[in-house]
Amino acid sequence: MSGPLDGYRVVELAEGVAGPYCAMVLGDAGAEVVKVEPPAGDRARGWGPPFQGETSAVFLSLNRNKRSVVLDLAEASGAESARRLLAAADVAVVDANRLPAPALCYEAVAALNPRLVWCQISGYGDRGPWAGRPAGELPAQLLSEATASLGRIGEEPVRLGTDVASMYAANYAVQAICAALLERERSGLGQRIDVSLFGSMLAMRSTLWVALSNPDEWWGFHLDSYVKPPDHGYRCKDGAIFFSLARMEPQRFDGLLRDLQMEWARDDPLFPLLAQDTAGGTGRNAHVVKQLWERAFAAFTTDEVAAIVERHGGITFPMNDYAQFVALPQVQHLGMVPEIEQPSVGPMRVLAPPWEFSETTAAIRRPAPRLGEHTDEVLRELAAGEARP
Amino acid sequence: MPGPLTGLRIFDLTMWMVGPWASMQLGSMGADVIHIEQPGVLWSSLGAGVPPTIDGTSIGYITWNMNKRGLFLDLKATRDRATAYELLKTCDAFLINMRPGVPDRLGLGYETVREINPRLVYCSVTGWGERGPMAERPGADTQVQYVSGFWSTNGRRGGEREVYRHFTQMDATTGNYAAQAILMALLARQRTGRGQKVEVPMIRAAAALQTARLAEYLATGELHQPLGSAAYATAPDQCFPCEDQQWLGVSVTSEDEWRSFCAAIERPELGADPRFTTNAERVRRRDELAALLEPVFRAKPQFYWMMRLTNASVPCGYPLRFEQLRNHRQAVENEYLLEVETSAWGRVWTGGPPWHFSRTPATWQGTPMPGEHTGVVLDEIERRPSAAPALRQA
Repeated sequence: MSGPLDGYRVVELAEGVAGPYCAMVLGDAGAEVVKVEPPAGDRARGWGPPFQGETSAVFLSLNRNKRSVVLDLAEASGAESARRLLAAADVAVVDANRLPAPALCYEAVAALNPRLVWCQISGYGDRGPWAGRPAGELPAQLLSEATASLGRIGEEPVRLGTDVASMYAANYAVQAICAALLERERSGLGQRIDVSLFGSMLAMRSTLWVALSNPDEWWGFHLDSYVKPPDHGYRCKDGAIFFSLARMEPQRFDGLLRDLQMEWARDDPLFPLLAQDTAGGTGRNAHVVKQLWERAFAAFTTDEVAAIVERHGGITFPMNDYAQFVALPQVQHLGMVPEIEQPSVGPMRVLAPPWEFSETTAAIRRPAPRLGEHTDEVLRELAAGEARP
Repeated sequence: MPGPLTGLRIFDLTMWMVGPWASMQLGSMGADVIHIEQPGVLWSSLGAGVPPTIDGTSIGYITWNMNKRGLFLDLKATRDRATAYELLKTCDAFLINMRPGVPDRLGLGYETVREINPRLVYCSVTGWGERGPMAERPGADTQVQYVSGFWSTNGRRGGEREVYRHFTQMDATTGNYAAQAILMALLARQRTGRGQKVEVPMIRAAAALQTARLAEYLATGELHQPLGSAAYATAPDQCFPCEDQQWLGVSVTSEDEWRSFCAAIERPELGADPRFTTNAERVRRRDELAALLEPVFRAKPQFYWMMRLTNASVPCGYPLRFEQLRNHRQAVENEYLLEVETSAWGRVWTGGPPWHFSRTPATWQGTPMPGEHTGVVLDEIERRPSAAPALRQA
């Protein structure tokens, strides 16, 4: 079975996370991706430790299903090869802030190939005073106030460990590219798209903008996310757990307290709030009464708390670290972490694509390339293609 | 002006956030998204009633159902189910986020829908997948963050791991993967002439979002220790306090940027220091390097560093808040933040389209009332031919 994007040709002129991940997603869906790298290689080849063989684990995870071509775009021959690649492509994924030679700007390339869908990934958009400023994951998180949902007010900002601004931009870029390819079926024309890290972050936080518009009252986790202290889950003897009583029948409450051996809580001045608490980190007073739950949970393991809470009709979920997540039976069952053969590394566990198609496949067809591994092969194919009438 | 998806129609049988978010993106790009609600639905229950509310309606419903038309259908009633089947014949995609088995009970399982319209792309979003030991468990944004370890790579330097308190990102991420999967399947249809089923479980989407961090774990078996504002894979890539007690975030991610950075802070000897020649060495000596840089940044105010580093093309930034952002030229001129008129809840701020298309611009429109367009939509399907052409003209 082929992939849904079988036959589409993508040229990537990008580095780091956003552009490469966008192109990889298109590759996972079946597109043929040529990654054009400068002679020094994509900067992310040096991101780490950890390294696997000579190469960054991060780079390997963002560049499978691609062929690597090294071109020095500062030199005429390199720029000319890139221009020919773009002339034969369906899609270009380009870092806006590292736009190469003038001959490779959108207008010049579109004159050669009007069907090209050109998607540039920028830091802040193609308009406004910050247009053209270089993109950065941390600046985008800070400027979009994502760090307001972590840490404590007044202290050092805490970033999201996941590169969300870059990944969100990549996912929006994939949507826009696919939409433009569908539109091309009707018009016969490509177009230029700009997707920014900053704009993607602001779009992803839009629930907050509505919440801040004109709420009936300040309540709920959307607004409380700004003012609550850091949330580490509910601590038990051996780790943390998430629990919620939102679905528990009220008459089960006494039994829950008994089994958690927390009858003492009835004498606590916070008990009236505890008795109304649905827990789960989103309740109105959840952060106030959390200390009472944690005093009780300290006597139990996460497994024991889960058994007691679920017995009374609450729900619990583990607060997993990556080791626990990868080992989950559900993750194994879905085949989410397959093993591939990575040259010069050996067997390597990777993440499968996020979607399951019934009639077409998303597949890992080739491991991440060595720098310039396919330069000759791709340029030969290009020449042969151009020679065809 | 038409959007890139003008002419496509989406049957939007979604609720809460993850499904509505996906179809809202398609609507922004011009698709005709028909959002289904039960006739007589209590407005206080929309968007699962998650607070805060505006005039008693959850801001969730208001935020996640923009760019759509509202249609009432009682899928448990024979007559409305027949109407749903008529509508499906005119649609290009069907989107549902319900637990496995529920679509079948509503007469809208994949096999049934495929019979009605074989060209339709059927997208099902679930929490944990449609099979496996967790398939029947409830799956929501909060739980997916905990289970997938998304929370486990954040936290104060040397401190405890902490949750991203603004729950919504797992839903929106999954919704975005669902929207892209629908578009991929529509592209495949151009070639095959047939639709297909696409499943997008939240657990898969959450893992995909964490591709780079999970790769680090899979490579080493070591868990991430919280680093505050610092990056795991690059250095210097963190916040520093400045003379005016304001924070400045700087991201150096290549050797060129490292040289530019050292020149901009007037410490060229750091650029030549063999301890810090490559990113890998700077990451290994992250704390040592930060200790050298802290007094540098403390000596001048934030705006001084912003100007110097920006002029040197080194990515940098500082924390902003909504009150500043909504008046900020960069957010306003790119229409990343905008005010839209809703049918029943007045004007609200929201995020605009994150894409700029040069020929077929995306737009952003306010939320309809549930069922607001019922009469119009029903009139339309009576007039429409029953076979859906490939891509209708705008």
